[in-house]
Amino acid sequence: MDSFPIWLSLRVALSATALTLLTGVPTAWLLARKRFSGRNLLEAVVVLPLVLPPTVLGYYLLLVIGYRGPVGRGLAAMGLELAFTPGAAVLAAWIGSIALVIKSAQAGFETVDGQLEQAARTLGRSEWSVFWSVTLPLAWRAVLAGTVLAFCRALGEFGITLMVAGNIPGRTQTLPLAIYDRVQANQMGEANALALVAVGIVVVLLFGLSRLARLRY
Amino acid sequence: MRRSSVSIVLALVCVALELGAIEAADPPSLTVFAAADLTFAFKELAPRFEKATGARVTLVFGSTGNFAQQIRQGGPADVFFAADQSFVDALSAEGVLLPETRTLYAQGRIVLATAKAFGPKLTDLRSLLNPQVRHVAIANPVHAPYGRAAEQALRKAGLWEALRPKLVFGENIRHTLQFVQTGAAEAGIVALSVANVPEVEWVTIDAASHAPLDQAAAVVRKSPRPELGLAFIQFVNGPEGRQIMKRYGFMLPGEF
Repeated sequence: MDSFPIWLSLRVALSATALTLLTGVPTAWLLARKRFSGRNLLEAVVVLPLVLPPTVLGYYLLLVIGYRGPVGRGLAAMGLELAFTPGAAVLAAWIGSIALVIKSAQAGFETVDGQLEQAARTLGRSEWSVFWSVTLPLAWRAVLAGTVLAFCRALGEFGITLMVAGNIPGRTQTLPLAIYDRVQANQMGEANALALVAVGIVVVLLFGLSRLARLRY
Repeated sequence: MRRSSVSIVLALVCVALELGAIEAADPPSLTVFAAADLTFAFKELAPRFEKATGARVTLVFGSTGNFAQQIRQGGPADVFFAADQSFVDALSAEGVLLPETRTLYAQGRIVLATAKAFGPKLTDLRSLLNPQVRHVAIANPVHAPYGRAAEQALRKAGLWEALRPKLVFGENIRHTLQFVQTGAAEAGIVALSVANVPEVEWVTIDAASHAPLDQAAAVVRKSPRPELGLAFIQFVNGPEGRQIMKRYGFMLPGEF
């Protein structure tokens, strides 16, 4: 069995989850704590990836990052290429999964008592420090739950990836694409083996995390 | 606390950037985007081309429509084998494909397929009206060439309206075959090129019942190795290639 799709998928899902945390947690915090113009619009935009069918989303994304797209042309001017690379698979997984972190973390942050944060401020803590020592520890389980969902979604991402990364064996063929490809080619044995690996990864991960979730921040 | 929070953020940045380290296996020398119905034939054919030329071939199978969009956006294909010549012509007109390399590689045929689990082989389109046939699988006629041909054949037989409630649409021709293979649909209309599977029996449908399914290939203009791409097309249409293509039901005019 070709193990490339397994390693590629693990790395893509990990990278996408890290990216999701870096971008999703601050966005969730903004939505939970700040009132600004365009807030409602932002709240609607972040859930769009869950509403649009992935292949449709992938098609629009391809128009943007492709060779003739505005971003694609900009990257090409710098000698970079994103479409049809593993990086595009990360982008696809990130877009597909970010809403899960944002909505979950936002709900977590909203349940944190603002007076506790206020108390920390009166004690001279900076906003950065208040977030890390008060807000995040109290909302940590919600953030973790969102992260787990996001990782699983990233690992299973199919439609967007198919469009923007292609389904190129040995280069951008992730685990879900490889399974699909084997089914299409009537190689059910390999398809089943790969599907079993995908299920195994998620079971091990969820088991580990359920232990982690019992820990305190 | 400050230091540990900064290190968490830095660690996340590192993981996110780690992807730069994903090394693709050595770059394939020839990437072929091929319509899904070519899966079986090309998996047999490509190793022979590799042996004959020493080049490495990466085969990517999928929907012709998707591939057309991807090649338009700079997808890394060297050669494009479309299930329908209209895509090749459109991309050539846009300057994405090299028009001088355009080659007809097959005329598609459709067959009436019956799931063995269902019972006796259906030999006539009219037998689809039989109430025991509850679902008839065809490829989506809006965008799949074989689906369009199936619709034309059913219309010509005067059965389209009567059969409409029974029709289920596959995304592509392999997907359509799977409906019949699994017995989820008792019968269906699929491509001759994919019909040779153990779970299915079939009879060909008269080629005159639908517009010709001309299938064409061409080399991508952006390809850094157009001669190798053209060599692959010529190999498919050469004596060794034709022998395999015919076996999988990809006939050229004169080969029927």
